Amino acid sequence: MNLKDISKQATAGTTTAGTISELKEIETKYLGRHGEFNQYFDQLPKEEKPKQGATFNLAKQKYSAEVQKKSDEIIGRESAREFDVTVPGILPSIGHLHLITGAIEEITGIFEKIGFIRRRYPEIDTDWYAAEGLNIPKDHPARDDQETFYVSDNVVLTPHTSNGQLREMEAMKKPPIKMINIGKTYRRQIDISHTPMFHQFEGLLIDKNIDITHLIGVGNYFVQHYFGRDRRIRLRPHHFQFTEPSFEIDITCGVCGGLDCRLCKAGWLELGGAGMVHPTVLKNGGIDPKKYSGFAFGWGVERVLAMKNNLPDIRNIYSTDLRILNQF
Amino acid sequence: MDIKLPDSTLRKYLITKATPEKVAEALTLCGPSVDRLHHKNGNSVYDIEAITNRVDTACAFGVAREAAAILPLFGIKAKLNNSPYDIKATDLPERTAVKLPLIVEIKDEALIPRFAAIVLSDLIVADAPTEMKEDLELSGVRTLNNLIDITNYLTLCFGQPVHIFDYDKIKGHKMILRESRAGEKLTTLDGKIHKLLGGDIVIEDGEGRLIDLCGIMGGKLSEVDEKTQKAVLFVQTYQPKKIRRTSLYTQERTLAAQIFEKQPDTKLVIPTLIEGVRLLVKHARAKVAGESIDLYFQKPQAKTVKLDIKWLNRLIGYDFDFKTVTGILKNLGFGIKKISASSLAASVPTWRLHDISIPEDLAEEVARIYGYFRLEGKLPVTANLSVATDPLLDWEYAVKRYLADLGFTEIFNYSLVSRDIFQKANLDTDHSIPLTNPLAKEFGFMRCSLIPSLLMDLEHNQGKVNLPIRIFELSNIYLPDQTAKMLSGLPEERSILCMATQGISYRHSKGYLEALFGMLHIPNISFASVEGNEGPWQKNQTAEIYSGKHFIGIFGAIKQGIRTAFSLNDDIYLTNLDFQSISDLANTDFSYTPISDYPDLIEDITIQSDRHISELIQLIKQESALVNKVGYKDSLKNKHTFTVHFNDPKRNLSESEVTKIREKLKLLGKRGGSESVPESVLPNPG
Repeated sequence: MNLKDISKQATAGTTTAGTISELKEIETKYLGRHGEFNQYFDQLPKEEKPKQGATFNLAKQKYSAEVQKKSDEIIGRESAREFDVTVPGILPSIGHLHLITGAIEEITGIFEKIGFIRRRYPEIDTDWYAAEGLNIPKDHPARDDQETFYVSDNVVLTPHTSNGQLREMEAMKKPPIKMINIGKTYRRQIDISHTPMFHQFEGLLIDKNIDITHLIGVGNYFVQHYFGRDRRIRLRPHHFQFTEPSFEIDITCGVCGGLDCRLCKAGWLELGGAGMVHPTVLKNGGIDPKKYSGFAFGWGVERVLAMKNNLPDIRNIYSTDLRILNQF
Repeated sequence: MDIKLPDSTLRKYLITKATPEKVAEALTLCGPSVDRLHHKNGNSVYDIEAITNRVDTACAFGVAREAAAILPLFGIKAKLNNSPYDIKATDLPERTAVKLPLIVEIKDEALIPRFAAIVLSDLIVADAPTEMKEDLELSGVRTLNNLIDITNYLTLCFGQPVHIFDYDKIKGHKMILRESRAGEKLTTLDGKIHKLLGGDIVIEDGEGRLIDLCGIMGGKLSEVDEKTQKAVLFVQTYQPKKIRRTSLYTQERTLAAQIFEKQPDTKLVIPTLIEGVRLLVKHARAKVAGESIDLYFQKPQAKTVKLDIKWLNRLIGYDFDFKTVTGILKNLGFGIKKISASSLAASVPTWRLHDISIPEDLAEEVARIYGYFRLEGKLPVTANLSVATDPLLDWEYAVKRYLADLGFTEIFNYSLVSRDIFQKANLDTDHSIPLTNPLAKEFGFMRCSLIPSLLMDLEHNQGKVNLPIRIFELSNIYLPDQTAKMLSGLPEERSILCMATQGISYRHSKGYLEALFGMLHIPNISFASVEGNEGPWQKNQTAEIYSGKHFIGIFGAIKQGIRTAFSLNDDIYLTNLDFQSISDLANTDFSYTPISDYPDLIEDITIQSDRHISELIQLIKQESALVNKVGYKDSLKNKHTFTVHFNDPKRNLSESEVTKIREKLKLLGKRGGSESVPESVLPNPG
C-alpha cells in the first residue's frame, strides 16, 4: 500500500467514527507507534527514507488534523445532544437501622458527653433487684403499677431498668457512680401507648453532695440536646418507693412552645419519673447514705421517640413490615 | 388511685379566692396532680391522682389541706374550714329512741385497728338532698337513696369508707368479726358469689351467716332497702395486707378496698361516724338508738422526725431558712420543736404516720411545697474516667451500622414468642423460658433463638416488597441456667446476630458475612460442614463458622420443609452468630501491610481436584511466597479456576518464574492426603 492509499483509508475510517472511543481506536490504528503510517515508513528501503520524509510527515499531519476536526465535531455533537437531567438515578442497595437503635445511640451519645457510662443489666432478674431491694416489699400496693411478668416466684422480667441501680452499686462498690443503663423492659400491657416489651434508659448518679438541682441540670441538658435548644423540664411531686423525694418530670411542649395545645397539658408533656435515691436503696447497694447522695431517673426510649417524631401509635415501632421499617 | 372531686365539695373545706384553674395549677406543681379540670353546669371537677403513699389526699378535705398549704406560696390566701378533726365525741347527737342492742365480738384484734358502729332507728328512706346527689354524681358515684348516698358522701369528703347495714337483717343483732375459713361462700352487694380462700376478714351474724366482706363490699344478706327502718352505721379501719389480698383475688377493686389497703387515719373514724349520724338525722330523720361502739385496738404511736436544715439544703441544693421550713411544715399539720438554730424535731400528724419516717420525707415536703419548679438546675461535676463501657455494646452498634450500610434492614422482634413458631422452625422449646403469667399465648416464652422470629418476619413480608430482602436482628436470647436451678440462678442472656436473605445467591449471601468479618478483622475464619441435629438447616448447604478453633456461628440454607411452613418459595440463607464471641474476637489493634512498588502479575489457573475450595486456596497460598492474593473464579465439576496474583515487593517478576509456579500449582490436585493442610482450615467437629 502506498502512502496515498493509507491516507485515503485512514480518512474513510475517521469519517465513519461515531464516538470518541471509536475515533481513538482508528487513530491508534493509523497513527500509533506500530500504526499503518509508521509501518509503511519502516518498510521503506533505507535510501528512500530521507526522500519521502517530508511527504510522509505532511500526510501524517494532515491526517492528525482530520482526526482533531472529527473529534471536535463529535464533542460538539455530544454536548449539543438533548439530555434529560431529571432522569432518576439508580439506587444502591440501602439498609435501615431501626428507630430504637438510632434513639439508643443518640441518647447514649448525649449522656456519654457528660461522663455517664453506658451499661446493660439483666432483663430477667430476681425479685430483689427488680423490687424488694428497691424498697418495694412483696405485698405493697406500689406493685400494682408494675404489671410484672413472672418466670417463677422469685424471678421476673424486669418491669423497669431500675434493677441496674443496685447492680451498678455492687459492681462499682464506691461512688462516684455515673451510669446510663439502657435495656429491654417488660410489662403486662398492650395498647396504643404500651407494648409488652419496651426500652428504658436509666440514669444514676451517686457522689458526695448531689442534690435536686443536679437532676434538674442533667434533665435540662438532655432535653435540650435530644429535643431542641429551646426545651426545658420541670419537676412535680410524685411517689416512687425507691426515691425520696420523688418527681414526675414534664417537658415543655414542642408544638405550642409551652402555651397549651391539643397535644399537651397546659404547655407541658410528661417525660417520666425521677427522684433522689432512697437511703434504703443506697444501703441495699452497699453505699453509706450518710456520706453519699444521688439521683436516678428511668425514662422510656419509645416515649421520647414518639414525642420527638410525633408517632401516634407506639405499637408501630415494633412493626416488622419492611414497608414501614424501610422508611426509618 | 384516681378520684374526681367537685369544686363545690372542695370549697366546703377550703376558703380561698383562687379560681379552680389556679387551684389545679398550684396542686399539680406542689401537691397531688390534677390530670384534668372539667367544667359542668357551673361547677368544676378536678381529676386527681392520689399517689399510693398519700391516701389522705383521696378526698375533699385532704385536697383542701394541701391547697391551704400550697396556695400562699403563689401569693393567694387560703384557709381550711370545717375540719373533721375538730369534731369531738361530745358532738354526737344524744339517744332519742328506745335503746336497741348490738352485740359485737372481735375474734382477732389484729384484724381491725379500730371498730366503730352505732344503731339508728326510725329511718325514712328517700332521695338524698339535691346538692349531695349532684356532688356525688360529679364525682362518678351512682346515687341510690339517702342512706347509701350519705355513706358515699362521707368517703368523698373525708376519705373514710363507711358502711350501713339493715339492723333487722342481722340475726341475733350480733356481729362476729373473724377470719374466713377456706371454702366459705358470701354474696356481695353487686350480686357476685365469692368462694373465699380463707383468711379474709368477714362478719358473721348470730345465725352463722356471713353479712360483710369487710373492707371490700357489704354482704347482700344485710343490705339496706326502701323498707329499712333500723340500721347500723359502721366505720372501721382494717389490717391493710388482708384487705389487699382479698380485693385482688376476688377482683373487687372497690374504692373502699383501695383506701383500706393504704391505711387511712384511725383518728378519722369517730368524726366520720358522728358526721354520718348528723347527716342521717338531718336527711333521713334518724334517731340514735344506742351508744356509739368504739373499739380502738391499735392507737397511733406518736412519731417525731429530726431535720437538720444544713443537711436539707445540701440535699435540695437551695438555701432555706429556719422560718420558711417551719412555716411549710406547720401548714401541713406537723408539730415543730426547735432543737437548735439549724435543726428541729417535727411531730408527724396522724394522717401521715405511714408516709413520713425519715428526714428525706420531710425534705420532700419542704421542697415540693416551696415548688420544685422554682429551683434552678446545674450540671454536676462528678466524673469517673477510669470506668469503661463493655465493648460488646459498642460492637453491637458498629455492626448494626455496617449491616445497614450493606443494605440490611434491622428488625426488632419481641423477646416474647409462642411455642408454635419454634415448632414451625423445627427447634425445640425445651431451652426457652416459659412465663407463669403470659399476656397471651403468642407471648408465652422468652426466646432461646432469633431464627423463628426472622423466618416469621420474612413470611410477613411476602408479596409486600420486591426481592431481594436482607434483614437482621441483633438481640439477646435467654437460656435456662445450666448449672443451677432457676430459683437461685438466673437465665443466661446472650447477644446473638441473626441475618437472613431472600432472593440472593449462596455466594452473595456469604459475601456479606465475609465482608463483616473483614470489617471486624476477625482472624482465621473457616467454614466446615455441620454435624449433629440440623434443626431448620438444609444440612448439605450449611456450615459451622470458626475463628481458629473457636466456634462462632452457623451459615446456611433453610430446608425446603421449613420454608414451606413459613410460605417462603425462594432460597433463604441465614446466619446465626454468637455476638459475644464476635465482640471478643473483633480486633482494633491491627496494622497495615505496605503495598509493593512493583505491579502484580495476574494469572487465571485451573486446578482439577476433589478437595474443598477453601483447602485449595490455602494450598495455593502456601506454594510460594510470591503468591500475594488468591481469588476464586468459578468451577466446572471438579475443575476450579482461581485468579492468582504474584508479586515480589523488591523487584519485577519475570514470566518464567511465574510459569514455574503455575505448573506446580496445576499439580496440586494430584497430590493426595491432607497432611499438608494446616489445622485452621480443617473441619472442626467442636
